[in-house]
Amino acid sequence: MELPVLNDAPAAKGGCSTSSCGSTDNQMDSLPDSIREKVQNHPCYSEDAHHYFARMHVAVAPACNIQCHYCNRKYDCSNESRPGVVSEVLTPDQAVKKTMAVAATIPQMTVLGIAGPGDPLANPERTFETFRRLSEEAPDIKLCVSTNGLALPDSVEELSKHNIDHVTITINCVDPEIGAKIYPWIFWNNKRIKGKKGAKILIEQQQKGLEMLIAKGILVKVNSVMIPGVNDQHLAEVSKIVKSKGAFLHNVMPLISEPEHGTFYGVMGQRGPTPDELQDLQDSCSGDMNMMRHCRQCRADAVGLLGEDRGDEFTLDKIEEMEIDYSAAMEKRKVIHGAIQAEMASKRLEKAQKAQQIKEEPKLTTRPVLMAVATSGQGVINMHFGHAKEFLIYEASPDGVRFISHRKADQYCGGDSTCGDGESVLQLTIRALAGCEAVLCSKVGYEPWEMLEAAGIAPNGEHAMEPIEEAVMAVYKQMAAAGKLDEKPEAVRASAA
Amino acid sequence: MAVKIIESCVNCYACEPVCPSKAIYEAKPHFLVNSKKCTECEGDFPVYQCASICPIEGAILNSLGEEINPPGSLTGIPPERMAEAMAEMQGH
Ligand code: SF4
Ligand code: SF4
Ligand code: SF4
Repeated sequence: MELPVLNDAPAAKGGCSTSSCGSTDNQMDSLPDSIREKVQNHPCYSEDAHHYFARMHVAVAPACNIQCHYCNRKYDCSNESRPGVVSEVLTPDQAVKKTMAVAATIPQMTVLGIAGPGDPLANPERTFETFRRLSEEAPDIKLCVSTNGLALPDSVEELSKHNIDHVTITINCVDPEIGAKIYPWIFWNNKRIKGKKGAKILIEQQQKGLEMLIAKGILVKVNSVMIPGVNDQHLAEVSKIVKSKGAFLHNVMPLISEPEHGTFYGVMGQRGPTPDELQDLQDSCSGDMNMMRHCRQCRADAVGLLGEDRGDEFTLDKIEEMEIDYSAAMEKRKVIHGAIQAEMASKRLEKAQKAQQIKEEPKLTTRPVLMAVATSGQGVINMHFGHAKEFLIYEASPDGVRFISHRKADQYCGGDSTCGDGESVLQLTIRALAGCEAVLCSKVGYEPWEMLEAAGIAPNGEHAMEPIEEAVMAVYKQMAAAGKLDEKPEAVRASAA
Repeated sequence: MAVKIIESCVNCYACEPVCPSKAIYEAKPHFLVNSKKCTECEGDFPVYQCASICPIEGAILNSLGEEINPPGSLTGIPPERMAEAMAEMQGH
């Protein structure tokens, strides 16, 4: 039994207030069936699927043809990954082997992405050789590619030949004035072109590529990096334009910028958005567009399900030794995928029924609350607080429970036990949970318990193994009954009013 | 007459495919230019292709040993500002 998860802001329209009656993927309800079918089991695009399925990335195409101010080219493409991460560059042959090894070992792996470091279409031969071979040798794996868009129009024809039905374009602006503040230069027609002129060409290529993909029937997702003071006001317009052209999802990601990344923004002190600012923008765009809130800005070479990384099991020397019988693996994968799909279908049905019930219950009038959840997948609370590398943030309100975002526990930290300013991992984790009033996990240790309480975040280990939305709603009702939701917390979110 | 890649190269691969003379090769610890093959793009392009796509200031030198992309020319970060940030990082 699960409560509805509302991905859209609680609708003020009359009638059914949960306009799509609570299915988790109601962000997709406005999509045509053909598209919905394509995305419903995609871990990046479907909120409930991302509890069950996984994707992986390989880095085969490290060159890039533009510069973004948030990217330090020593590391991976910041458009798709967190800054400061370095992936091992593989040859197309190694990439094919690794992908098949992972798919045989982790049957939940359904999507392979090529996303950098660099721009996959700036190195088209390496990217396309990988896709060509995988389309033939592992036809049950979906392929996706992310690009800055500059070389996209030239690649559409080739892309349409493979098993590729998802392309992600990072579009940060449609105005060259703004573009010049994000992209210092591009490499175009054998020249480096700087400033507004370069930005204008990039924008034109992105838009042209988007239109060409749509015309070919290829799904397009748009990513934008939210840069306060640069494009934050502008992204609602970007959302509108890309949607009108047929992009099916718009994913706004926060700028992550620290001086030690050595990027222009990092060094010049450009800050990233606060979780509140990000959520406000996502809320204001969601009226316009299907927003993807569950993007994890995953590590480009991460392998595994939610919150885990099994990359160490698939290093090059280990893959070398593996014997993979892919046709046997494919049989096994088919059975497991079928079982997962059946489970997802029954959960979706339950949710729809529960949503109906909830509409009939007397409505609370309390304010919305943000809660953090530690999970390793399956849609249940099953992770120890101290083991969680990331948290899922949900908002509970009288209208139900909706998924808001992921927050990395160590987003601001290089992963050492302490950072430069002497904060412990625990302190950083608690900082990452700012704005949440409760954290639900399978267990919490004594030390974190005290620190969480001191930070105004109620630790809660009472709902281990329960479905997330149901547990979040139970805690919300408890808080309401205890009168905790009558007075406002220090900072009330404007958009949550 | 040839350009040279020096140790500030970050091995991003960008220059290798754009060289019309196939003079650039992957090496450890960083990419290198075969000075016998490099034509400085003469006859092919009016500008050095490698230095027109390289994202790292100072990583490629011309035949006089000068930085083709001097500090501040690509990132837009004023050199003093970069020096300050670097000094601060070392302090950690
Ligand atoms: S497109 Fe990606 S790799 Fe290229 S500069 Fe931008 S963030 Fe970096
Ligand atoms: S200057 Fe021209 S020919 Fe020489 S290495 Fe660079 S790209 Fe190649
Ligand atoms: S483009 Fe510059 S940084 Fe990249 S590999 Fe070539 S010389 Fe090195």
